[in-house]
This record gives sequence, C-alpha cells and structure tokens, in this order.
Amino acid sequence: MASSLHSNNTQICPNPTALNGGSAADGKSQISKKPRLYADPPPLFTPSDIISEFSHHDPDVARINNGSFGCCPSSVLSAQNQLQLQWLRQPDNFYFNQLQPKIIQSRTIIKDIINADHVDEVSIVDNATTAAAIVLQQIAWGFAEGKFCRGDAAVMLHYAYGSVKKSVEAYVTRAGGCVIEVPLPFPVSSVDEIVKEFRQALRRGKQNGRKVRLAVIDHVTSMPTVVIPVKELVTICREEGVDQVFVDAAHGIGCVDVDMKQIGADFYTSNLHKWFFCPPSVAFLYCKKSTNNSDLHHPVVSHEYGNGLAIESAWIGTRDYSSYLVVPKVLEFINRFEGGIEGIKKRNHEYVVEMGQMLVKAWGTRLGCPPEMCSSMVMVGLPACLGISSDHDALELRTCLRDKFGVEVPIYYRPPKDGEEGGVVTGYARISYQVYNKVEDYYKFRDAINQLVDNAFTCASLPIS
Amino acid sequence: MQHDDPRNGESTHRSSKKPKISSQFITESDIRDEFSHHHPRVARINNGSFGSCPGSVLAAQRHWQLQFLRQPDAFYFNSLRDGITASRKIIKDLINADHVDEVSLVDNATTAAAIVLQRIGRSFAEGKFQKNDTVLMLHCAYEAVKKSIQAYVTRAGGSVIEVRLPFPVNSEEEIISELKKSIDEGKSNGRRIRLAIIDHITSMPSVVIPVKELVRICRAEGIEQVFVDAAHAIGSVKVDVKEVGADFYVSNLHKWFFCPPSVAFLYCNKSTTSSDLHHPVVSHEYGNGLPIESSWTGTRDYSSQLVVPAVLEFVNRFEGGIEGIMKRNHDQVVKMGKMLVESWGTNLGSPPEMSAAMIMVGLPSRLCLNSEKDALKLRSHLRDCYEVEVPIFHQVPKDGEEGVRDKDGFITGYVRISHQVYNTLEDYEKLRDAINQLVEDGKTCKMLFKE
Repeated sequence: MASSLHSNNTQICPNPTALNGGSAADGKSQISKKPRLYADPPPLFTPSDIISEFSHHDPDVARINNGSFGCCPSSVLSAQNQLQLQWLRQPDNFYFNQLQPKIIQSRTIIKDIINADHVDEVSIVDNATTAAAIVLQQIAWGFAEGKFCRGDAAVMLHYAYGSVKKSVEAYVTRAGGCVIEVPLPFPVSSVDEIVKEFRQALRRGKQNGRKVRLAVIDHVTSMPTVVIPVKELVTICREEGVDQVFVDAAHGIGCVDVDMKQIGADFYTSNLHKWFFCPPSVAFLYCKKSTNNSDLHHPVVSHEYGNGLAIESAWIGTRDYSSYLVVPKVLEFINRFEGGIEGIKKRNHEYVVEMGQMLVKAWGTRLGCPPEMCSSMVMVGLPACLGISSDHDALELRTCLRDKFGVEVPIYYRPPKDGEEGGVVTGYARISYQVYNKVEDYYKFRDAINQLVDNAFTCASLPIS
Repeated sequence: MQHDDPRNGESTHRSSKKPKISSQFITESDIRDEFSHHHPRVARINNGSFGSCPGSVLAAQRHWQLQFLRQPDAFYFNSLRDGITASRKIIKDLINADHVDEVSLVDNATTAAAIVLQRIGRSFAEGKFQKNDTVLMLHCAYEAVKKSIQAYVTRAGGSVIEVRLPFPVNSEEEIISELKKSIDEGKSNGRRIRLAIIDHITSMPSVVIPVKELVRICRAEGIEQVFVDAAHAIGSVKVDVKEVGADFYVSNLHKWFFCPPSVAFLYCNKSTTSSDLHHPVVSHEYGNGLPIESSWTGTRDYSSQLVVPAVLEFVNRFEGGIEGIMKRNHDQVVKMGKMLVESWGTNLGSPPEMSAAMIMVGLPSRLCLNSEKDALKLRSHLRDCYEVEVPIFHQVPKDGEEGVRDKDGFITGYVRISHQVYNTLEDYEKLRDAINQLVEDGKTCKMLFKE
C-alpha cells in the first residue's frame, strides 16, 4: 500500500484503504461541482504542487491541528502580499478606489458559496470571536433599552467556545440576562442525544414566563469536536418561539455543508482562515434580512456607523484589510482540486476517520463520536494509562508532544462521570486532516503515544508549573 | 533635507537605545531605499492619513508573519505574548508611563475610542450616570470618534457638547477660551460632565492643541475623566502622558511612528481609571485586564504589534533619533507651508508653533472651493491629473464673521501638507505648480471632472 495518502498520478484523489470500495480517483464526485472561473480550467494540483504550496510549514512537525489556526497556501499568501504592497505604495488611492470594490467582490463570492439571498446579508469581519461580539452586543442593548425583561434567557451549548462563553458573560449576563447551558454527552453516540438535551434546555429557558431571546448553537463544536445537527435545532428553536438563533460555525466553511437557507438561522458566522485557505484572519457573518435584526453594529465605530453592518465592517479605521480581499484567489486555489471545495471536504472527512480508526486500533481506545458526527476533525481516545486527570495535564501532554516528538495536536480532558469505572478514557486528541497532511503525520503521533506508554509515562510525573 | 540641524539637545525622553554617532547615520540614499515601495511619481504629502512604513520594518514584520504560518501553535504558546509585552515596554518608556500595565496595544485610535466610550455607555445603562450627563468633545473631533459618541453615549441617554475651535486659529488662548465657554454651558442645569475628549492634534483642520493646559482646566472644573485622542501624536510631537495628565491617551503608531498598518497604544492611568475597561471583542482573556484582553482578540495577524523593537532601531539610525526626526519634519513642513503661501498669496491656518509635522495652507480663493464635494473633487483631480496626494479641507465661513481673504476673495479651502522623512522639496513644488496651473487656467472646483 502506498506510504503516502497521495497517489502518484496527476490527480489528487488518493486511494483510501478499506473504507471506500473503489478509488476516488475516477473523477466522479457525488457532489455537484461549482462552476469554474475559467473556460479552460487550470490543471488539477499534483501532490508535489501541494507540497510546494505548503512548503512554509515546519517540515519537522506533524501538523495535525488544522482546526486551531488553519493554514494558507503560498499562492494565496503571494496574492495577499501583492495587495499589501498596493496599499503601501499609494494608500489614499487604494482607500478611495480599490478597497470597497474588492471587499464587495469577496462578499459576493461568499454569498454564492453559502447560498444567501442578498450580498447585504454578508459582512466580513476578523473572526468568529468578533462576530459573536456583534450579535451579542445587540442583545445587551435589548436589555439596556428595556426591549427585554431582566432574566430573559440566552441558551448556549456547554461546549461553546471559550471566547463565546465570555462574550455571553460580558454582553448578556452583565446586562441582566440569564444564561442556560445545554449539557452535551461526550463521548456521544447519536444526534438524538443532542436534540433531547437541547429541547430540555429550551424548556428551562422558558420557565416562569421568560422568553428565550437568543440561542447560540455551534455547527461544529471546538473541544470536544462534534458536528451538531444545526438544521434540526434551528427548527426546534422556531417551534419554541426563540427570538433569534445564532450559529457559531467557526469551523464551518470548508469543513461542513454551509447553506444559509437550508439551515435557517438568523445569524451564521464562519472563519475563512480555518478550513477555507485564507490567511489570518477573516470570517463572514451572515445576517438574514429581517426587521428583527436591523440593529446590528460593529463594536468598533467608524464614520460608516449607521450604513449597515456590512459597510461598517468594511472600514473600522486604518488597518491591513488584505486578508479580506484574497477570497477570489482562494477560489482559484480550491478549484484546482478534484471536486473543488466539496471534494476537499469529502476527502478530508474520509481520511480523518480512517486515521482516527487507525489510532484507535493501535491504542485500544475509541472515537469520541460516530464517523457521521464528525467533519474533518475527530476526537481520538488516548490510552487511559497516561493518567490525564486535569486540563493542566492535557496542556502539558500537548507541550510534551510538541517539544519532544514534533507532533502538534490539541488534547482534551474529559472528566470521568459518576459511576464510571476505572480505566475509562479521560483524554482525547483532536486530530484534523487538511490537504497538506500525509499518513506519516498520524504514524508519528501513533508512535509517540506508544512510546510514552512503553516508557510507563503518566501525567502525574510531569513537573508542576 | 534631514541634515540641517544639530542634534536636539533637550531630549527628556528615555529611549531604550542611544542614537548612533554621526558616521553611522542613515543617508539620503538609505532613506530612498527604505521607502522604495512608495509610488515613485506621486508627491506623497499626506503622511497624516495613512502613515508610512520603511522596508526594514516591513521585513521584520514579514519575519513574524512567517513564524506564525510555519507553526502557529508554537508561536501562540511560546512567542506571541512575550513579543507583545516587549513592544508594550518600549512604548511605556517612550511615553513616560509608570507601569507597563497602563499600556494596551490595539488596532488604531478608532478602536481605543470604542473601548473608552463603551464603558461610558455601560455606566449609563447601569444607572451610574444620569440621563443628560454629558460628554464634551471638540467640534472638529475625528468623525469616527463623533460616531462612536453617538453609538455609545447619545444612544444610552447622554448628551454631547461640542467645543467650537476657531479656524484659522491665531493663538492657544483662543482655544482655551472656547473650552471654558463650553464647560460652563455643559455644567448649566446641573448636568455633570463625565468625560472630555480632547484631540492632541486635530485631524481636519490640523492644529496642535495645548492639551496639558486643557486637561488642567478640565480637572479644575470637575470633569470626571479626560480622554486625549492623540492619533497623530507619537513621532510628531513630544508625548509624555504624566505631563499631559489625562486618564486615557491614545496614539496610532502607524501614522508617524513607522509601524505597518495598523497598531496604536492606549494608555490608561492606573490610579484614576477603573479595571472595568474591556476590549469590545471578547475572548477567553476577558477579565484579565485590558492589555491582556487586547493582546488576544481571536486568531488574527498580530505582526504589526510585534515590530516596535525594529521601529526603534530604525528611528535611532537618524540623527537625534525620533526627536531629531520630529524637529526636522516640523521645520520642513513650516518652511514648505510658507513657500506655498508666498507662491499662492494665501495664509497658514495656524501659527507655526501650533503645528507639528502637518500644517494647513490656504488655497487661492479663485478655485471657488465651496463645499465638501468641491474639496473631494479637487483632491481627486490633483491625484489623477497631477500625481499629488494631499487632503483638502473646506472652511465653512462663520455667520457674521469676516473670513481671511486673499487678493481675489475669501479663502475657503486649505490643503493639509505633511512632512515625513521620505519627502523632498520636489513634492511640494509639484503641488505648488499644480495649483498655480489650475488658477492660471481659470479653473474652479465645479469645473473639475472626476477622472
């Protein structure tokens, strides 16, 4: 079997092992292809093209954490550099004549990809963290201006991203709102478990005549990572009279299917620098056109205040906006892969599951969720004998893997629940798969853990910092 | 143009490095190299708007960016925080702050305004301030700041007082007197003035404001807090936050301090400001203090915050370091302003001692610049047809007041010329000749087409 997941012929589709019946290299993608930008499409990338595009990555590191900070190919970095030089060369001219049209171009491309109705619904911001501040700030005003009653609720998942939780604290709790967390089981076996917990949380939110003003739902949770059935949860929110639904899809675009009309949320944000090959950093915030959300503002107020969120976000003072402007170049890059972004998503998912299962078999552990509930990341149980018993342990183990083994992978501590027997898996690694990864990356990780186990390593033996 | 004057002997700033001895000073040709990425044919006399960044600092920035791209996790855990702290320490020394905790790095002055004003907004919302408590600002405050006041103060129930600044201005006393008038107006009917926002150097029209005196007056009059918007200050005037005495002081580093776009520092006096200041983009660092919150607002390119050490190296290649640069920029911009005034028969918008590295120069009245639109048209025309980049200000004549005249009529338009180390005499001659050509051809603003 090939030592690399990339075949030697010109097409990028490799030959995954037992998972698929035949080769995915026969060029037929189940997913409809998006129209290309050129009459004669440029050639598909070869494996060596890809190595070259990511040659700026540290070659000694098994970089299996695309989820945290994403990646950006060198052809997009070059395009970005060109834009930066244009600004530096004559900034006034760029400001007056180039910046806004180029931002509109990026927004238009995104609108098409995400199936939004109007480009007005698409704002570009730095990252999902900023988008959360925008959405939550209007909730704070709702309390401050008496539109909402003290104690009205906001609902979010227990596994919501740390920054989002703090943003909810800063803008909702502080303004007098009540926050309900949806506990989610982990490991998780089916979407039904999630749906059930969510319904119960909504009921708690509506107790004593309270209104649920906002539900914050992750599309793909961060730690531990699981794909949430957002469409279904949004439907439930509508049934239960939730005012607004905000889907935090930081890991969305390029990782799962992102269709605004299908999902039906009021707000949807996704980072483009995680799984969509943009440089740090850029994200979109989709706001469905409705009277319910006309009061959205970027918290950094410029002279564009009042001209609509998309226009406000396109100028928040002098800054380097180049990462907002490279989206057309990114589309060119993506379309040089078989099946475009759909093909990339599909293959990333298949390989990460394959690699996860390889690791689980090598270590005698388990995955954190069934394959259909993961995207291009999956949680892989670590051997219990490593003795991961705190968040601190998880961080220290991660540092040890980075410094001693050249493996970059985030580790999650999963506290044992009451009634669980000893030997339960308390540590999970979140492995990612992106186009630059190769099977050696995961072997390196497998072997590192095996070596630690062989050496009878435990987290208890780590120095206390 | 930078070898004119002997080293400035009254430096009271503490920079981390001593400037070099004369044989190692940067040469004219070095400077051309450093700014070789600027458009070679454009007379770039608008450093004030977007600033500038030399090639060696851009190279340092690129180095930081590549480090992140190479191994972002290692960069995040091992390098980022220390790099930002190093920059903050340098700034603390430059501005004479007491503690590095008082120095936060943010994107720009616009962001700093949102931080300070959001807090004011919360105070209204939480009942700490009463409806109609007041915020005071200059009439010519930067538009983003005005909108920020609307978004966070007016919306929350606060009221606003604008201090009219005379322009053209003849002395600091005129400004001081207007401030006192406005404060009295503000305090009428028992309203409290919760915050005064004072520019150190106004943007349009550009004038250096006597901030130290104005802050003292605000204190004497019982204004609770003072926020100095010094977007243009660092690298263009002396910045000593203890001397100025404000509660908050912000300045952009990418305008006159050679940083790439974009980075600014926000100084918050430890003893007079509460810990309840927050960056509006809330991350997991929420509650750890503004400097820490600002150092992580989600995944972003923080490289512009990390190059401050490289910038210090750059400025110290100049005779007199940053003080030498400031002095020479000031002397040159005044000299160029006077050259234009003489050629056009107009006036300066302020006395030389009320300008720093920018100055307002009256345009010939024959251009008939009668609106903001005219000003923008003329600016575009100069850019497109003469390759001159300079912002233009429309001076609205005050009712009942005699404006300044040239031989043909009232002067209603001013250019704001800047001088930075890369500028040459030819840049200003190009502007001079372009305007003279337009006047000679009998052109007025209305006649100009946008290319």
